[in-house]
Amino acid sequence: MEKTIDVNQNVYGRFALSAELDEQVAATLQRVLRSLVQVQNGRRGAGAGIIWKSDGVILTNSHVVGKGQLKVTLSDGSQHRGSLLERSSDLDLALVKVDASRLPTALIADSRSLRVGQIALAVGHPWGQVGFVTAGIISALGTAETRSRKEVPYIRLDAALAPGNSGGPLVNAAGGVIGINTMIIGGDQGVAIPSHLAAAFVDQVASSANVQVV
Amino acid sequence: MTLSVERNMYILLSDALADAVEKAAASTVSVVARPRLPSSGIAVTADLVLTADHAIEYEEDIRILLPDGSESKASLAGRDPGSDLALLHLDHPSLVPAEYFSEEARVGQLVLALGRPTSEGIQASQGVLSFIGGPIQTNRGSMLNRFYRSDAIPYPGFSGGPLVDSSARVIGINTTGFSSGVPIAIPAGFAWQVAESLHLHGRIRRGFLGIRSQPVEIPTAVQNLLGRTQASGLMLVNVEPGSPADRSGLMLGDIITGLNGSTIVDHDSLLQNLTGDVVGKAVSVEILRAGTKQVLTVTIREQR
Repeated sequence: MEKTIDVNQNVYGRFALSAELDEQVAATLQRVLRSLVQVQNGRRGAGAGIIWKSDGVILTNSHVVGKGQLKVTLSDGSQHRGSLLERSSDLDLALVKVDASRLPTALIADSRSLRVGQIALAVGHPWGQVGFVTAGIISALGTAETRSRKEVPYIRLDAALAPGNSGGPLVNAAGGVIGINTMIIGGDQGVAIPSHLAAAFVDQVASSANVQVV
Repeated sequence: MTLSVERNMYILLSDALADAVEKAAASTVSVVARPRLPSSGIAVTADLVLTADHAIEYEEDIRILLPDGSESKASLAGRDPGSDLALLHLDHPSLVPAEYFSEEARVGQLVLALGRPTSEGIQASQGVLSFIGGPIQTNRGSMLNRFYRSDAIPYPGFSGGPLVDSSARVIGINTTGFSSGVPIAIPAGFAWQVAESLHLHGRIRRGFLGIRSQPVEIPTAVQNLLGRTQASGLMLVNVEPGSPADRSGLMLGDIITGLNGSTIVDHDSLLQNLTGDVVGKAVSVEILRAGTKQVLTVTIREQR
């Protein structure tokens, strides 16, 4: 049975919470959880990452990659050796390649039209809990200065993140990735680099001559 | 199941939350009246801003950052440290007044805390109304009949900003200015009353009796004199010479059991009944003295 919803009315104020809402939240997370990976660099615990392209291109944090050998665990449990394609310490992003194909990719949303107050869900492996979901709202859209004095825009979630969330996605209510969580700005505050910057980073890597990303 | 984007309740909820933030943000300003971290404020009229008193560290050169990014100078219209509220007057009326909800909020209802601590735009956090407390005597020497607590994150600079409901109506003003920085919200109905008094008089009037007292038990046999069950009253341990209490004939050892028709059982109930409303008025004071009930008349003065 389909329900009609008057968009002009306030959802929280006028509608009884229903199982339908629960189902929709779960459905929202399905695709991103399939594309969620664990990235281990041989030293510390695991960070998170998402499958950006189905041929094995994975996006994670630069600080998650570190300097060691990379081991990537996919959501189906399979483990792969990863090689670093490119990294940006300013954006705290890194692209990693695993030798696999037809992988489930994440849905990437446009992060240029975000609004404070929108629901956002951080997905990652805080304290080693694989595929852990932290919900909140976008609490601020700001800019921070990196160590190399570059201004970088960020999205702040009104929930605390923990080690293991790094490199994981921040998704909107439609399940689209709006940011990549990082902990290099603001301690345990849930801060993410907007996905449009991540997309630009991937495109830049793809267009450079000596690296091939399809 | 299929995800129909138009009918997805979760997306509607997300948009509704962003709409509420956007609406409330139009009346939420940044208040620059202390070094380093600005605080927040709420537009109550086109040229008046209600904010947290403790964040006003200098009274000259107060600046307001408006939601549209422009800046305005403001002067102090009045401040009430007791309730941690202050009212600012803008040179040019250009604000969008906030809508407020003066009835009591409900524990469990969805709330959003808003603040504008930087020029980078509105900030918000979401939670539920966790607790309704009060009356409490604050460390600022006043009574707060009611206060709200929520689990929404109080980011730095959120003091003076609104706590709103899902329809963007202000239900309280956030502050960490009370005891040991615990984040609470001052209920909007009360805050708007304070704003009105500050606008009219520049201050909040409180009644003054001129006594020091301590709560004491009233034995059951003595309670019969009162004709009601009342287990405690306030015994006078000092009466200031020339004070309203002294002039009314109140004496050391008297036990105050009622004022102006209300029962007085402790300091809190006395403070609650010594509001600005009774200043200058002759009101009845019910006492127990030497095993008898007496009723005197006291003319309340304004506390200075």
